[in-house]
Amino acid sequence: MSAPVSPGLRSGSLPLLVALMTLLGGLSLAGLTGVQTLAEGWAGAARNATTIEIPSDTPQLEDRTRTLIQTLHKTPDVTTVRELSPQQVQTLLAPWLGQISDSGHLPGLSLPVVLIIAHTGTPDLGKIVHETLPEAVVEEDRRWGERLNGLGISLVACAWLAVSLIAAIAILSVGMTVRRSVMAQRKAVEIVHFLGAGDMMISSRIAGRAALLSLAGGLTGLFFLSPVITMLARKLAPFSRDAGPIALPATTWQSMLVSEWNTLHVLPHLLLEELGALPLIAACLGWLTAQTVVLVWLRRLP
Amino acid sequence: MIRLLNVSMMPPDVGQPVLRNLTLTVPQGEFRWLLGASGAGKSSLLRLLTLETRPSAGQMDLLGVSISQASRTTLRNLRRRIGFVPQDYRLIGEWTVFDNVALPLRLRGASERDTRREAFAVLEWLDVAHLADKRPGTLSGGEQQRAAIARALIGRPEVLLADEPTNALEDAQARRLLATFQELVEMGTTVIVATHNEALIRETPAASIILQDGTLAGTDIQDGIAALRSNKA
Ligand SMILES: Nc1ncnc2c1ncn2[C@@H]1O[C@H](COP(=O)(O)OP(=O)(O)O)[C@@H](O)[C@H]1O
Ligand SMILES: [Mg+2]
Repeated sequence: MSAPVSPGLRSGSLPLLVALMTLLGGLSLAGLTGVQTLAEGWAGAARNATTIEIPSDTPQLEDRTRTLIQTLHKTPDVTTVRELSPQQVQTLLAPWLGQISDSGHLPGLSLPVVLIIAHTGTPDLGKIVHETLPEAVVEEDRRWGERLNGLGISLVACAWLAVSLIAAIAILSVGMTVRRSVMAQRKAVEIVHFLGAGDMMISSRIAGRAALLSLAGGLTGLFFLSPVITMLARKLAPFSRDAGPIALPATTWQSMLVSEWNTLHVLPHLLLEELGALPLIAACLGWLTAQTVVLVWLRRLP
Repeated sequence: MIRLLNVSMMPPDVGQPVLRNLTLTVPQGEFRWLLGASGAGKSSLLRLLTLETRPSAGQMDLLGVSISQASRTTLRNLRRRIGFVPQDYRLIGEWTVFDNVALPLRLRGASERDTRREAFAVLEWLDVAHLADKRPGTLSGGEQQRAAIARALIGRPEVLLADEPTNALEDAQARRLLATFQELVEMGTTVIVATHNEALIRETPAASIILQDGTLAGTDIQDGIAALRSNKA
């Protein structure tokens, strides 16, 4: 142990507070990630589907439909082309046309052919369809996409607001707790100051202790956060494209730990990095607050 | 050397100066009693000389440094050359007696070996070496006072200021302390001791600084003793 030349810092409430704030901050970050993933999924789903309706009175309907389907299959970015069966089309149109009688056909109305195209990116399907089958109507689900997108954006904005508020509260309360514990050392600080200790010598030691206590609190908070995070990862896993091999049912706790660890990879790397940074951020915050409080206050002494 | 010229001192939130127009000189390597009735301003003058506050008016020189113009760094370095026994001891409660006493040497950057040796020498001399690992809070008043004296004596300061340093001591210990102060004076330290201990003053007559209501009322020790008496009356 190094010889004391300046008071340290003792505070039970600082690590506890930082632990709670880390927990809260981590939860809000995880929530933000969840909301973001969800919103992206919605927007993506709407963005990546296009419906094509081909009126039933189109000449050479079957041949030309087949040509269109083949052309679409060859189009880059198109992943699947599905032709709805007449029953599916009926079900789809039921809300507008009413339930169909047992004959299976609406009197005097033949149903259009409906194609559902799934794609990535934004291929210009309208142009392709127009060239091959000008009678067809391209129904890009853009309007829905826009609405979902709008909803997603406002949800993400709310989540961001919550994260920012929690961050602000955390910074304030950690700052205030550090200040209070520093003030509790006031007498000792004055003693060493008047015996000739330098400002930086005093502030650095207190700030070092504040950083250490905050780091300990942050790590504790992270420890209690991890079950929540792995649970979130497990819930998100099915939505993830690169989820990797599904973990085998755990038999020993080692394999359970390994599978827990594997599920973590499902989470966006950014979230994991942010969570890992929380204790470090807490430590920096504690250090900076303590330094500032002590230096400002020593400046008032001659 | 300590030199004050028309020095006044006003605590921040007090409307009146507690020291007014003090002019005095103490050459290096001399001893002074600091006498005066309770509330006369003895502790205030010592606070000024330990650089806890700067004068609100007047000129003060300490060890060749003009205090009103000195930077904070200069004051810090100056403080390391001054030993002080506060009236209320001011030991750090979380530290052991040893760490408290070792502090001035450590601040000067002394090696741990030298620090240990010197700290134990002075603690032994004051009969509190056996308490080195204890916290100040567990000590009696007299033991705490001796720890505070040890911290002031360690490293042989150029200026030694003591505020009622024999308050909690037995007579024999007080006499021994005064003999040590005299030794320090012979080695070139300037020593100023505020006290109410009339017997001690009588045994060791010396030039004095006599304060009355924050002003200098004289330097004659007989006047000082009279001032103490008036206080008791
Ligand atoms: N920081 C302060 N704030 C207010 N009053 C003070 C302060 N320091 C000293 N005084 C006043 O100055 C006078 C001298 O006090 P002090 O120097 O402690 O006297 P002594 O040590 O001779 O008993 C007292 O009346 C005291 O109340
Ligand atoms: Mg006093």
